[in-house]
Amino acid sequence: MSDNDDTRIINVVIVGTAGQGVITLKRLVEFIAAESGYEGVFGSEMHGLAQREGAISSHCRLQRKESPNFRENIFSPIICYGDADLVIGFEPIEVLRNAGQFASDKTTFVVNDRTIPPIMVTAGKETYPGLDEIKAILVGYSGDARKVRFINATELAIAKLDDAQKMNMVMFGFALATGIFDFTMETCEKVIRRELRDADVNITALKLGLEGGKALLGSR
Amino acid sequence: MAIDARFSPQARKGERYLFLGNEALIRGCLEACVGFIAQYPGTPTSDIGETFKDILEQQPELQEYIVHHWSVNEAVATSSCAGAAWAGIRALNPMKHVGMNVASDALHSITLAGPNPGALVLVVGSDPGSLGSHHEQNERFFTWMHHTPMIEPHSPQECHDWIKLAFDLSERYDLPVYFRTSTRSAHSRGKVEIGDFKLPPRPKGEFARSTSKYCSLPPYAINNHVRLYERINAFTRDVPSFGLNKAFPGDAKTGLISYGIPFGYSMEALHQLGLDDVPVLKLGITYPLNEDEIVSFMKDLDQVIVVEELEPFLEVDIRSIAQKHRITASIVGGEVFPRFNEFSTGLVASCIAKLTGRTPSARVQRSQDTFNSYKARIPSRYPTFCPGCPERAMGMAIKKATKDLTDPKTIIAGDIGCYVMLINPPLKMSDFIICMSGGLSAAIGLSKKTDDKIIALIGDSTLMHTGLPVLADAIANDANVLLIVFDNRWVAMTGHQPPVGKGKISFEPLISSMGVKWIKTVDPFEVEKTVRAIQDGLKQEGLKVILCQRECALMAKRGYDAERRKLKSRNEQYAYDAYQVYNCVLCEKCTEMLSCPAMRRTTDDVTGMTVMRIDEDRCSSCSVCKQICPHNRIKRTAFNPHLDTRLQLRRIEKQ
Repeated sequence: MSDNDDTRIINVVIVGTAGQGVITLKRLVEFIAAESGYEGVFGSEMHGLAQREGAISSHCRLQRKESPNFRENIFSPIICYGDADLVIGFEPIEVLRNAGQFASDKTTFVVNDRTIPPIMVTAGKETYPGLDEIKAILVGYSGDARKVRFINATELAIAKLDDAQKMNMVMFGFALATGIFDFTMETCEKVIRRELRDADVNITALKLGLEGGKALLGSR
Repeated sequence: MAIDARFSPQARKGERYLFLGNEALIRGCLEACVGFIAQYPGTPTSDIGETFKDILEQQPELQEYIVHHWSVNEAVATSSCAGAAWAGIRALNPMKHVGMNVASDALHSITLAGPNPGALVLVVGSDPGSLGSHHEQNERFFTWMHHTPMIEPHSPQECHDWIKLAFDLSERYDLPVYFRTSTRSAHSRGKVEIGDFKLPPRPKGEFARSTSKYCSLPPYAINNHVRLYERINAFTRDVPSFGLNKAFPGDAKTGLISYGIPFGYSMEALHQLGLDDVPVLKLGITYPLNEDEIVSFMKDLDQVIVVEELEPFLEVDIRSIAQKHRITASIVGGEVFPRFNEFSTGLVASCIAKLTGRTPSARVQRSQDTFNSYKARIPSRYPTFCPGCPERAMGMAIKKATKDLTDPKTIIAGDIGCYVMLINPPLKMSDFIICMSGGLSAAIGLSKKTDDKIIALIGDSTLMHTGLPVLADAIANDANVLLIVFDNRWVAMTGHQPPVGKGKISFEPLISSMGVKWIKTVDPFEVEKTVRAIQDGLKQEGLKVILCQRECALMAKRGYDAERRKLKSRNEQYAYDAYQVYNCVLCEKCTEMLSCPAMRRTTDDVTGMTVMRIDEDRCSSCSVCKQICPHNRIKRTAFNPHLDTRLQLRRIEKQ
């Protein structure tokens, strides 16, 4: 099974805190994958404690063609330790908390640099590690600094779109720039128009992230 | 609201859509002539009712045929469903795992009677890992007690296909069917090939009197018990013909038995360990087991690994079948796999590796080692109240009124709802939490055997669920307790369903007519008044009630935001309150008392000093922090030196 094999499973972990749009993005990725003809789509999301400042993580697993050996296909909605190809982090410390176990040398990280300090940090009882420290930990997985990218997505969403909530789409655009997904912009737009309110703003946010990502990573 | 095409009759047989497990089973119900749904909300099943509500709102022509109720509690919901089933309707009754404790009383009699001429399918959302519940009780054992057949799906496709079959089986065998999902299977999304939409043949059914069937008490109780064995034995015999249990062949002498999501972990774990030759029996029906099926899978094996979350359930049954049929294969399960918490592919792989002498992949090991090397440095993140939550404000007021629960010494009887989060720092209050309405119940006993002050907490929805009888007990027995009712107008914790009786039942006259003499209504955003009310209440004898009236902050904010968007789209002017910290002296009072997530500890750009700052895009302008700042450093302002003023929109008043 080579890396370019269509039966290869792409494992994506999206993490953040409640209310940041983790589930919205994960759902969108799955719909776009289905629209793009992926045969295997399976993923898990957390409902329940949503919106209560808790940590949120979701996994999504995509496979372009199902393998003739059925045992090679997707059976679990959760990925295995170390098996993430891509981690999209909406909040830096949440990447460590909920993506760390699933990361390994093959993992690419794209991380929003806006911190949401947990209440114990605000209360001065615990310490939030510096962004450089977090970055160094993540680079430690592969030793390759190019696989760990921080972006000011919340800042961009506020400055350019007057809407911090669109950070998730900026992050998605940025993730697209890594080339791990092979979705076309046309399919993305089509699904966004079908699935999301404020489609125009979301598409603008997506493009903003994509351009930012291309500039940072070099063109695809 | 636009119609979700996936739930419309226009979506036809053979089409494929992405569905969550819960959505897939809803589509299945719509293809299986479901006519009545009743439930009390509870993760991971709340969204079933919400989706049904949306479907009926979007397609009003269905309302004549399909009725959805938010019931007052699970026992009422289950019995409501039985009533509909006895009129010949196919009824669906979703609940969370602990809901089964409440429903069980009703379900036992209903199972003895049987749901015919209609059908009754329970969707029970289990929660290994306690991801959205106060504990991870293994409620599967109820099926042994009630003799309700249990189906456990693995994928959204199975949720869809099998719930349809569940209705058929319930009808055919005159048994309620226990359709067990988990937090994972309910909220996993995958592709589903659907069938054709099928409404019930007619809007209403018909009830035919049959005392012997429907009244399971002497002299009919024993007869119904006999009849129950006839029904469940026939079901057990026919299990192989339903096609839900499936054996995946393999040449190895070690086999594996699993079900649902753990089956998924097991398949990937085996593949990862290079054990594709291990035969696997996947059980779709986990109660009752058909002996022939189990024996034919096990008979030539040396070892059988049973992979199941929580306490051994299948394993117990499988062991007894093996013993009866003198099967010599060793059976391993609960002594190797943990009996607590949610499983994962990695965990199952490491357990199987130990059993089979394999080594787990080096990548898994490296990944775990790296994670463990920095794990301790990750600051904890407790779920906490949203910015502007009235329950945080009330918690703070209680602490203030009782000088941190010491003067007078005060015991806090917690309960189930968002206010369970009071146990987390910084407030750390709730001295015990039992179950729905367990707080006031325990407070009754405590009040008789201690002289401490007792404050019991309860939400509006919990009060309706089981709280009113407890309130009656507290009044009848002269419990010396101050009860605080959080009237936030929503069932907030489970995703904002309307509490039963919203707009129809008002608490003050209700509680007063029950005989409570001392009732005060407070707005927790008025800190001083609230503190005084608590202090006054604690001085009174007997049962006292404070109604804490303030809408859930999330819903209130949604309202503000919608209004803001409307005004903005019309280019109308609007004003709002904003709060900011000026010249903070870092006394920490706000973090000690509130720890509002909108408050951030940061470094002042100019002075380089550590200060508190309010994130204006998160603040909901409740003003509670302003009221408790001892140095008066938090000001109401329309101008913010740090941020673009356009971001300060919160409480909107038309100018």
